[in-house]
Amino acid sequence: MTEIDHKKILTERISARLGRRAVLKGMGAGIVAATAAGGFPAIARAQQSGHLKIASIKVIDTLDPHFTGFLSSIQVINNIHNGLLKIVYDGENLTFEPDLAETWDLEDDKTHVFKLRDGVKFHDGTTCDAEAVKFSLLRVKEGEPTSPHAWKLALLDEIEIVDPLTVKLHFSQPYAFLPVALNGSTGRAGTIVSPAAVEKYGTDYGRNPVGTGPFKFVSWRENDAIELEANTEYFEPDMPKLERVTFLLMNEASTAIAALFSGQIDGMNDCPMQLVNQVDANPNTTLYGEIEGNYTFLGMNCKKGPFTDINLRRAVAWAIDRETMVKQAYFGRAQQAYTPISPPMTDFFDPDIATSGRGQWFDLDKAREFRALAENQDEIEVTYMMAERGPVGTRTAQTIAPMLAQIGIKVNLELVEPATWLKRRNEGDFDLYDFEWVADLDPDEAIYPEFKSDGAWNFCGWVNTEFDDLCAQAQVILDPAERRKLYYQAEDLLMDEAPIGVMAHMPIYKVFSNKVEGFQYIPADLMNLHTVSKV
Amino acid sequence: MLIQALKKLGQTLVVLMIVSIATFGLLKLAPGDPVQIMLGAEYSQETYESMTRELGLDQPFLVQYADWAMNFVQGDWGTSYIARTDIFTYGFKEALPVTLTLAFFSLSFAILIGVPLGVLSAVKKDTIFDAGSAVFALTGTAFPSFLLGILLIWFFGVKLQLFPVMGYVSPWEDLRLGIYHMILPGLTLSTYFIAMITRLTRATLIEVMDEPYIAAARARGEPGWRVIWVHGVRNIAMPLVTILGLQLGTLIQGTVLTETVFNLPGIGQMLTSAVLGREYQVVQAGVMMTAFLFIGVNLLVDLSYPILDPRLRDRK
Repeated sequence: MTEIDHKKILTERISARLGRRAVLKGMGAGIVAATAAGGFPAIARAQQSGHLKIASIKVIDTLDPHFTGFLSSIQVINNIHNGLLKIVYDGENLTFEPDLAETWDLEDDKTHVFKLRDGVKFHDGTTCDAEAVKFSLLRVKEGEPTSPHAWKLALLDEIEIVDPLTVKLHFSQPYAFLPVALNGSTGRAGTIVSPAAVEKYGTDYGRNPVGTGPFKFVSWRENDAIELEANTEYFEPDMPKLERVTFLLMNEASTAIAALFSGQIDGMNDCPMQLVNQVDANPNTTLYGEIEGNYTFLGMNCKKGPFTDINLRRAVAWAIDRETMVKQAYFGRAQQAYTPISPPMTDFFDPDIATSGRGQWFDLDKAREFRALAENQDEIEVTYMMAERGPVGTRTAQTIAPMLAQIGIKVNLELVEPATWLKRRNEGDFDLYDFEWVADLDPDEAIYPEFKSDGAWNFCGWVNTEFDDLCAQAQVILDPAERRKLYYQAEDLLMDEAPIGVMAHMPIYKVFSNKVEGFQYIPADLMNLHTVSKV
Repeated sequence: MLIQALKKLGQTLVVLMIVSIATFGLLKLAPGDPVQIMLGAEYSQETYESMTRELGLDQPFLVQYADWAMNFVQGDWGTSYIARTDIFTYGFKEALPVTLTLAFFSLSFAILIGVPLGVLSAVKKDTIFDAGSAVFALTGTAFPSFLLGILLIWFFGVKLQLFPVMGYVSPWEDLRLGIYHMILPGLTLSTYFIAMITRLTRATLIEVMDEPYIAAARARGEPGWRVIWVHGVRNIAMPLVTILGLQLGTLIQGTVLTETVFNLPGIGQMLTSAVLGREYQVVQAGVMMTAFLFIGVNLLVDLSYPILDPRLRDRK
């Protein structure tokens, strides 16, 4: 009985969402892998050619997958390393498929079995086997210094090495979040690093990464460029196609666009919304981008100041005209958000959310009703802490201020530089601030750590134990339908008590010159160059 | 002479110490926490504390400063928290040459364009040419360099595709490509200086041309070009060099924006990212290098006076 359930769930998680293609694809991959495992050297190796230059606009802190929280770092890391699982996108659904693992099975609801591919080598020539997997997972879970992603493997009780190519992960509870924890874009707890290299470089591993990926790390020049070269021994057939890749580290997006248009570079990892129209109009470039797993919001301080008053918070949440926001602040590119769960979370997002009656939206009458219930009926003056985050950030604050003036709240905009902003946000020194949580693939990472009472990212300081319980329950259930029900209840509480006014789901754009072919877009802000070639 | 030199050296050391304490203190006073910045959104309290200890940020201010200063003097500039690289390599060997190249090209443009333009304006005083150069100079001084940079990029880089719009190639490795990459940033940064030198050359030359020795040269029947370039321009060299030395600060300040717009990995970019990331030691290294540069150049300016003006030479 139990076994049948697990199989059903596993099928759902791995392949069902892919539809009929999945079976073929899954089998195909199995056969290819088996051939590779059999040790036939006749596997088609790609002929590498071409040098791709990509502008990386945002900060890259380290290339150590276990210690970064930056998506721009992950974009590079993903080309050097592989994980146990990988994220696959077929144009409609996001799924998790085995990567370094050949198969991924659930023995029971707490035990995951990964069978590894045979013959996979790290760039330093050492073998990627069960020991390396155990080493990497333990490095995240209990390594010193502590990985910021350690919490993702907190429920992992034991890592059992069955044979050199089989790893069994025993969890203390069913853990639906596992695939995301292993792959989640903001940190790769399931990325496998070379134990020999970690031994050799210690904390400098992030500057000398050694993985199994399609590209090898060559050099990193500060404020200048990160160079990669093809790994000719890569285990997936016909990959990579490029000979060299350069990530140019740039601060100024408009310079990157100019370099792209003049042919000096081939692509950009992030095209800010204010420049998208310009790129769209250029016939020599192609834009990739969809609404990704994110939400932007106006945060209100529930711990001190005027917004401790729940009715004032509700008034603000209903006074934000999201349609105007999308037009003004997001250059018409974003999508109005009703709740935090975003479109790419296909198991959880309700396509009819607009008419479902759930969430928050613009209703000035309702906002005024709540305002009338607020304790303070005089004009209230509040401080809105703005960060220097380009035109989108500035416009967001400037658009919101007059909306709140309509319900008797006078907003003082205060622009602070990034380090100060971070400190003040983390210490709860604000009345209002806006922010975005990005690259979320599961509701568990989209709302739980952000709004858990005393949660590390709960900067608004909202407390609701019922919400905590609902999220905690959903975490240990594997069935998506049941999880969805719980998350909807949790979201309803969140939206009603309004520590935030949710605003929009944003598209994230990447641009390539038309000379670049074969880029597979994944709506998790990834820049996988495995299949990319340059004419 | 020796006493003077020692005095100068002592002054320099005092200045450097004041500069280093001031930067260190100001950075510490500014709100913001390097550990929070490094760890991003996801971290636990233990991670935070272990990182703080690892970086020595739990120590009192004076201990941190003394540690830094002792190591710095001995040539150990520390390790960048974020880059995890040796700051001496990053700052001195990698970033400094880029900024020096940029400064060299800008100064060359400023002198090669500014001086002839100024001389022409002085000679053709009160003509349409003089008025034109005055307008150019005023515009050049008033025009924000980042805007000019972006305009140059779009016109010469994207429209005409004449020059690369970004990046640095070391002229030592590839002279042609190196120069090629420096033309747009060099022009951007030097516009202000071209304008300034043009005006300065014009004003001082007009004064010099009224001096009796110019009249004497003319009376001797020397050709017009010789009167201007040999007797005239030589005598404006001193104010020119003095002003250029003092304006070096402005030039270095300008490299910050120019390096950002043209994506050059120099001291300007290093300082910007270090300030934003609250990388105290990197900022210190950057500031110390620029302070050294500034003091060094002004020392050279002082030393050049006897060469430029024989009357100042020691005749003993």
